[in-house]
Amino acid sequence: MSMIDSVTELEALATGIAIIDGDNVITYANTTFARRLNIEVLPRRLTDITLPEARSRDLLEWQLRDIGESALTIEIAPGRTLTFYIGARRDDQRMVIVASGWPRREESTLDLAAQLDPLTGFGNRLMYAERLRELEATGARCAAVLVIDLDHFKQVNDTLGHGAGDELLVLVAQRIRASTRGNDTLIRLGGDEFVILIPEEKRREGLEALAARLVNLLGRPFLVNGHQINIGASIGIATLVGDSEQLQDLLRHADLALYEAKHQGRAGHYVFQSQLEQRAFDRRAFEVDLRRALGLRQFTLHYQPQTSIRDERVIGFEALIRWEHPTRGRVSPLNFIPLAEEIGEIASIGRWVIRKACEQAMTWRDERLIVAVNVSPAQFVDDTIIDVVRDALAHSGLAPARLELEITEGLFLDESEAIMRRLWAIQELGVAIAIDDFGTGYASLGYLNSFPFSKIKIDKSFIQAEPSPRASALVSGILAMGSNLGMATTAEGIETAEQYHQLEQEGCSSAQGYYIARPMPADQIADFLDQFAPPTAQAG
Amino acid sequence: MTDTLYRLVYMSRNDITDEIELQIGGILEISRENNRRAEITGALMFNAGCFAQVLEGPHHAIQATFERIQCDERHSNVTVLLFEPLDARVFSNWAMAYVGTQAAAEQRFGHLGHDSGFEFDTLDGNEIFNVLRANLHDAEPA
Ligand SMILES: Cc1cc2nc3c(=O)[nH]c(=O)nc-3n(C[C@H](O)[C@H](O)[C@H](O)COP(=O)(O)O)c2cc1C
Repeated sequence: MSMIDSVTELEALATGIAIIDGDNVITYANTTFARRLNIEVLPRRLTDITLPEARSRDLLEWQLRDIGESALTIEIAPGRTLTFYIGARRDDQRMVIVASGWPRREESTLDLAAQLDPLTGFGNRLMYAERLRELEATGARCAAVLVIDLDHFKQVNDTLGHGAGDELLVLVAQRIRASTRGNDTLIRLGGDEFVILIPEEKRREGLEALAARLVNLLGRPFLVNGHQINIGASIGIATLVGDSEQLQDLLRHADLALYEAKHQGRAGHYVFQSQLEQRAFDRRAFEVDLRRALGLRQFTLHYQPQTSIRDERVIGFEALIRWEHPTRGRVSPLNFIPLAEEIGEIASIGRWVIRKACEQAMTWRDERLIVAVNVSPAQFVDDTIIDVVRDALAHSGLAPARLELEITEGLFLDESEAIMRRLWAIQELGVAIAIDDFGTGYASLGYLNSFPFSKIKIDKSFIQAEPSPRASALVSGILAMGSNLGMATTAEGIETAEQYHQLEQEGCSSAQGYYIARPMPADQIADFLDQFAPPTAQAG
Repeated sequence: MTDTLYRLVYMSRNDITDEIELQIGGILEISRENNRRAEITGALMFNAGCFAQVLEGPHHAIQATFERIQCDERHSNVTVLLFEPLDARVFSNWAMAYVGTQAAAEQRFGHLGHDSGFEFDTLDGNEIFNVLRANLHDAEPA
């Protein structure tokens, strides 16, 4: 207000000026303002002025939610538009200027409404592009972008419905707004992705502090629709005072940094560095190779025997995928399976594995031998897995009882009914389901009671742990639990005679590991079975 | 949904280091003023380690108040122990009752923060709620 000193001067202006308080109530309006908006008495809420369209009032409401400076052009009478310039809120007060015939500059979009996200009152992609243009025009040298992505938002939408999801987004937007400054541009890119465009921040530490504060704030509980919801946020940062050279790169670079933040474990932030571009490039090349691998027949299955400890005979084989790439060499499943899950390639790779394993098991001469196949939680997102199993059995002619799917505890992290339904459907086909890598997941043990699993496979980390009272107590505990639940137990990763005999004494049902045999190509199975000598015979 | 009354019970870690009495006095004063306007009732408990609070009121009012409360830098590790619809208000006479320094509360509640290492997830919201209710008769009138 310092630029205009006296009230008389204000009254004489051709421009309408008003002051509104924190509740958007007009506390002062000059005559031009009152006349243009047909206001006769004060106080009155700015949003209560008569407007031809309800939509215009909504726009004004949304715009006023932003405590920063902004502008909005709306129709106040048929065919007559008025532009509202809304000042930043200070001490619960802000100035509103109205004028017609504005905006003058050609490039600023006439319809600000098109730049707004109706849900949160943040800007959308169009506003981002517009603000970027403005920054470019002023030659901004230290702009920065934060991309905020909510973790587990999809689950909220899926379990509580879109209404709850929307309500949550509004609260998230409020927390973001409360942590940022008036001249930051707040954008919702769509879905659960938010962007903060900061016109000026010279210090990288300042940005990191903001990101850390946001991660912390968004990690706190929300109360939505009668539920308590815990989500989290990951944030990618790119800044001109860092490794980004151009304004246009900021969003892309912040996205790359976000990807990195998510991969380093969620609920954190990451600042873009130039090597991320190379990494993204490499990842894309790897992705392309992976997508081609199936078609180029670069996958094979190897088989690792499982033996019954009591009967000292081979009971079956676990199928393990191998990827042999002409230039990359042998790529470990630990490296390509997560990527396959991420890019959706897991569905077709998984189908191939089940089919191939069933086909090859049909060639084994002992018809009691089972074949165990690993399936990823990503294959359980829909009912396809049921058809895949049914088709593989029909196509190969394998007896269902000879197929066993190995799933991991990760599948039960979000106790979905749909997942249980799929497991039961597969079980009804006559196929067994085993728990793999037992003891490494974070799932609560409750799921063990909810399904008749054929087997618990104890993770190799327990078997190979340095012998200690604690380690052996853990293994005994798992074995006891298995026998109480009537489930067989298989120890994975057995490498020494000591480990084997220890497990034998404790009543473990079956064994797998280098001590018995390494994984082998399908064509060596016949020879292996011919020559198999039980471990006790070897040892003795 | 929004008109239904809800009860919220949470615990948090106290991060106030000095002038505690003064700070708490300030929290109570603003709480009573805001809560009365928002039709919220409840009680606040405090010891050296942590806060426990019960809020009762319409869904939207609890939501808005809780958003403010948990962004307050005077505490952290805010953990919701209970959030559910209620039949009748228990704290209807208190915009924010304070049962912080009662010996009885200290006895039943004083150990909670330390024992749980501020991992409040394992605590039972109903238990906390009952402690607060049991000590209400000693609370200063709002
Ligand atoms: C443990 C604790 C409990 C609080 N309880 C309330 C409460 O019940 N109601 C309330 O309005 N503010 C409460 N506050 C204070 C709020 O955090 C906040 O400071 C106050 O509502 C003023 O917010 P404002 O500065 O955004 O207006 C509490 C703060 C703390 C630390």
